[in-house]
Amino acid sequence: MSPFDQEPPRWSLKFLKLYCKPRALEIIEGDAYELFYKRIQEEGLKPARRKFSWDVLRFFRLRYIKGLEDYNSLNNIAMFKNYFKISVRSLLKQRFYSFINISGLALGLAACLLILLYVSHELSYDKYHKDGDRVYYVANGTSGAWTPARLGIQMKSDFPEVEEIARIQGPFSQTFRVDNQVFKEPRGYNADSAFHHLFTVDFLEGNPAEALTDPNSVVLTQTLADKLFGFESALGKIIEIDGLDVQVTGVVADPPKNTHFRYSYINSYPNESWVTIGNWTGNNFFTYVKLSPGATPDQVQSKFPEFIREYVGPELIKYSGHSSFDEFLDAGGKKTFSLIPMQELHLHYPHLAKSNGSIDNVYIFSLVALFILIIACINFMNLSTARSAMRSKEVGMRKVLGSMRGQLISQFMVESILVCLLASILALGIASLSLSGFNQLANREFTYNDLFEATTLAKLFGLMLIVGLLAGAYPALVLSSFKPIKALKGESQTGSKGNAVLRKGLVSFQFAISIFLIVSTVVVYNQLSFINQQNLGFEPEQVLVIKNADKLAERRESFKNQIERIPSIESIALTNTYVSAGVSDWGYQTMDDNPRSYSFRNMFATADYIKTMGLELVEGRDFNKDLSSETSNIIINEKAKEWLGYDEVLGAKLSRGDGEDYTIIGVVKDFNITTLKRGIEPFIIRLINESGMTEDGWTAGNYFTLKVSGNYQETVSQIQDAWIASVANEPFEYVFLDESFSSLYEEEQRFGKLFTASSGLAIVIACLGLFALAAYTLQKRYKEIAVRKVLGASVKSLTFMVVKSFTILVLIGAVVAIPVGYLTMQTWLSDFAYQISLNNPLLWILPVVGVAAIAWLTVGYQSIRTATSNPIKALRSE
Amino acid sequence: MGRVQIGEFEELVLLVVAILHDNAYGISVMEEIENQTDRKINISAVHSALDRLETKGFVRSEVGGATAERGGRRKRFFKITMAGQSALDAVREQRNKLHDQIPNLGLKYVSI
Repeated sequence: MSPFDQEPPRWSLKFLKLYCKPRALEIIEGDAYELFYKRIQEEGLKPARRKFSWDVLRFFRLRYIKGLEDYNSLNNIAMFKNYFKISVRSLLKQRFYSFINISGLALGLAACLLILLYVSHELSYDKYHKDGDRVYYVANGTSGAWTPARLGIQMKSDFPEVEEIARIQGPFSQTFRVDNQVFKEPRGYNADSAFHHLFTVDFLEGNPAEALTDPNSVVLTQTLADKLFGFESALGKIIEIDGLDVQVTGVVADPPKNTHFRYSYINSYPNESWVTIGNWTGNNFFTYVKLSPGATPDQVQSKFPEFIREYVGPELIKYSGHSSFDEFLDAGGKKTFSLIPMQELHLHYPHLAKSNGSIDNVYIFSLVALFILIIACINFMNLSTARSAMRSKEVGMRKVLGSMRGQLISQFMVESILVCLLASILALGIASLSLSGFNQLANREFTYNDLFEATTLAKLFGLMLIVGLLAGAYPALVLSSFKPIKALKGESQTGSKGNAVLRKGLVSFQFAISIFLIVSTVVVYNQLSFINQQNLGFEPEQVLVIKNADKLAERRESFKNQIERIPSIESIALTNTYVSAGVSDWGYQTMDDNPRSYSFRNMFATADYIKTMGLELVEGRDFNKDLSSETSNIIINEKAKEWLGYDEVLGAKLSRGDGEDYTIIGVVKDFNITTLKRGIEPFIIRLINESGMTEDGWTAGNYFTLKVSGNYQETVSQIQDAWIASVANEPFEYVFLDESFSSLYEEEQRFGKLFTASSGLAIVIACLGLFALAAYTLQKRYKEIAVRKVLGASVKSLTFMVVKSFTILVLIGAVVAIPVGYLTMQTWLSDFAYQISLNNPLLWILPVVGVAAIAWLTVGYQSIRTATSNPIKALRSE
Repeated sequence: MGRVQIGEFEELVLLVVAILHDNAYGISVMEEIENQTDRKINISAVHSALDRLETKGFVRSEVGGATAERGGRRKRFFKITMAGQSALDAVREQRNKLHDQIPNLGLKYVSI
């Protein structure tokens, strides 16, 4: 057998190839093989193989190990240096295009950066809690915020899956008194002592385990402790909170902005049975549970039916009037609890989180960012391809000198990334300048620190790379595909039909997005002004509500007497809540043979309420405060009458199921009690006596509702004087109902502003692109226009010719944008019970005409300039 | 002429390259050294020395044809350059000068 049929050990050969410098590899391999074959003959196969490996190992020395230059040839780096230099030169050479390109992109990037900041902030809510993914909020039913006190305690003792629970109440606004100084502090909560097991809390002073175990303890945040005690240690100090002496048992770091549980201070619970034992019927706690690792919410939820039957059922039927829980269920009664992941509260259940999060907003903002970014990228692509004619000779020359296509592509990529880099630096500047405006739009408090944080900058960098690569890819492919001979001869290669069509298509698309955004803006504002002009059924600007009336306590009468003397106040009523603030619903049932039940909006008010609100009584009579039996009478609205469906409602009775029944004595005309997103709902007014007590003896006089005429400011200041004279400790808070109603539409107004800002931005960026594109087109048609002029075309007809070609693009954009806008706005309007009609043609034509007009202005100036210039100049130039 | 920078092993390799004249490549050099001096040396040492000599300009190399006994790999043949020749001469001259200066004493020892 020939020695040449033998092979040396494969691994050593591989190893050699791995480490050895390519230039020395062949000779070393050759020598090693030669020795190997010789040794086979002289010493046999085995030693030969062994010695081959040994030789390979001995060659593993610095001289033969691959260096960096073998991986990445130095020549490449030099090429990149050259690309960079050429990019800078070409940017400087065409300053005008570069400026438009960079500033358009910077605007787009700035908008995206801010929106990215917002979106990632929204998504980060409550993610910082350790094991936060195991913490759930227990909702009453499917989404009720309040749960009974007993629920958490019983869940912990019955369900092995439940590791820990905490009950929370709040937020409250309480009065702090320290050294005779009085502070009104919002964002106060009550919490169980175990709350720090569910929420990550950073205790700076005090012991977390014992902080809230004793009654009359309070945990302060750093900010509040510093405010109250001026940077002294607050631990152990006594504060008077709402008249009670309370000891500070802990100071914690301020909770971050991205949590729904944003406390300023946390009170312990008193050691009383309503807390420690609790009951099943009063829903007045927020219950949070932490499940043990591995337990799923479904496991717990599947146990609820049994759990409810055992504990809640017996209590429930005492009030519902059913003889057993089964009967309650058969009658269509429902009782359930559900677990909602805490981290989803902010975005998916803002009404539970008491936050203003909205997953829709996150989507809308992201979509707007995407739109703006697309417009900016399109500009970039258009300008780069349009300008390519000027680069064609360079490309041709590079190709002749041996550039590969890949190298040309990387050259143009370097250029586009450079542009993006400059744009993103500019974008950071623009973003920081517009931060406060954006905060208003997004209703958040972002600071410069948030903007210049490393993670935000990393995001910007990522955005820059994506835009640079995406927007740069197409021009790079087009430019690098030039045929060198044609390019050097100076034949244009961008005039190809496909390119022009693509460019026009992209411009139309830009216009489509702009028109869509403008149409949306117009619709949102029209709808908002429509809502503000709606007749609510009373005169909201004449109704003043004074809050905190319950704090007056026994002074309420004297305060009322005082303000009654103010001549501009026509009438006064006490209520438990006020319209626009949220009127809770109470279940009532009819007294027929087949009782039907319904949750009516329920308001407690004194006898003058209807007069004060200016409601119109259509049937029956108003309350009479002098009748002693009057508290068992109610007044309903027309909608409630419709629901009852009786021919004669006056005298009909409704029951609460607890033995009490109420007689209908009057019907008022329908009026709106909340946002016009909702229609009018069945409504009941129940009477409380003049000192604000219900018939059951609890205080419902939380608000004064006043009818005011004449000078509002003077009236308010007179009331304020009376207030201060009565209760110095409590702040004087008031609201006019018209303001209160319009504040219900804050979200919509912000929505409108967002659309205004983004459509403005979109149109500016699109126009920048259009301006540059028009300049380029005219430059190419310079001679053509001159020839036309020489042959007798008028300035008017020439201008019209150019403007027409761009107008067609706007029209194509409109054709795309209007149906999309129609469908989107229809969805948005479907939220409102009262909506404007979308079939108004002006709504659609005006934005299109507006955009077209802006396009004309952009293109018109340049086309007139070209058309009026002396044709000789154009024809003589070569 | 300035000082010649050449190590002992390098000198040996250079001499062998000069001796082998037309057939000096890694293995022939190694075998020649082994035969002439009874030294056991590794091929990698020879390569390394040849590389160093080449950087110093004492030898130059060219690549020859591929043969089956090298598994289809080419050989790199080395030839001594003028600089290499004069380096050898310089080293030899220096040695001789030193040898000549040894006093006769030594010879007496030998004769005893």
